Amino acid sequence: MVNDFQVEFIEREDRRARFVARGLTPALANGIRRAMVADVPTFSIDTVRFVENTSVMFDEMIGLRLGLVPLTTPLDDFEPGDTVTVALEVDGPATAYSGDIESADDMVVPADENIPIIELKEGQRLEFEADAVLGYGKDHAKNQGGVAVGYRHLQRVEVVGDAGEFDEQEPNILRGVIEEAAAEHAEGDAEDGDLVATETFGNDLTERYPGKEVEVHDVPEAFVFSVETDGSFDVDELVTRAVASLGDRAAELEEKVAL
Amino acid sequence: MMIPVRCFTCGTVIGEHWDEFKARAREGDEDPAEVLDDLGVTRACCRRMMVSHKDLVDVVSPYQ
Repeated sequence: MVNDFQVEFIEREDRRARFVARGLTPALANGIRRAMVADVPTFSIDTVRFVENTSVMFDEMIGLRLGLVPLTTPLDDFEPGDTVTVALEVDGPATAYSGDIESADDMVVPADENIPIIELKEGQRLEFEADAVLGYGKDHAKNQGGVAVGYRHLQRVEVVGDAGEFDEQEPNILRGVIEEAAAEHAEGDAEDGDLVATETFGNDLTERYPGKEVEVHDVPEAFVFSVETDGSFDVDELVTRAVASLGDRAAELEEKVAL
Repeated sequence: MMIPVRCFTCGTVIGEHWDEFKARAREGDEDPAEVLDDLGVTRACCRRMMVSHKDLVDVVSPYQ
């Protein structure tokens, strides 16, 4: 039952990545997706103690905005439930930015510094102290580290014949990633087995295989994941933590139902 | 009132790009679509957050 999984990256940046994973069942692929959203904890501001708020927004509205600001989360150094105190003090006229938030811990700071919290006019002032808590995405969406996480089947495009000579070719739109199976008919350099993102040919199969009739099939047990993070940690961390949490829970289940 | 911190639909942080978008596309004369591409705001859900936003702090502040 133990299969080797193969992972190939198509796109890999700090905060976004796209990769093909092979050897997964659909259930496992969805399990990983769900774990990325719900089971990797991130820091997020949870309780705010306002000292002064004379801005045009109510305390609650500012509290909501603060909760959504992503904070960097070094998961090796903190346990879920840990808190870090942050504070902000801005006098108007000025705009309070997420970068103005000062943290008691240098490792837990706003991941983005240019998010406007509130614009303050002359004489207005915002001062508060807040607790950031390491919590789970399944408890509150503000703790979700993965953003727009999804997967789709890897697809294989086969050339089955020529399009009718006088037929008007209509666009044949396909989005995602294809596995090259008809390199000899493809435009440009191509080799069978190449992974090609459909954006490279305008998501239109008639651009890549002009004058050909094609069939599209899902490749079994191969999934193209597209993962983005909110900046709390990088994509590698998110995916490995999600897979680890899935593994931990499987081990726990095995232990609990052992005869 | 203020630009939402995150996209309502997908949760991407978009507040980060507001100031630059405002300076280049609203107050400047660049094409909003190009500015958004440049900023890496690619999905339609995130783009509508920026395109359809109106700052209201100036409108509300006299009535404090």
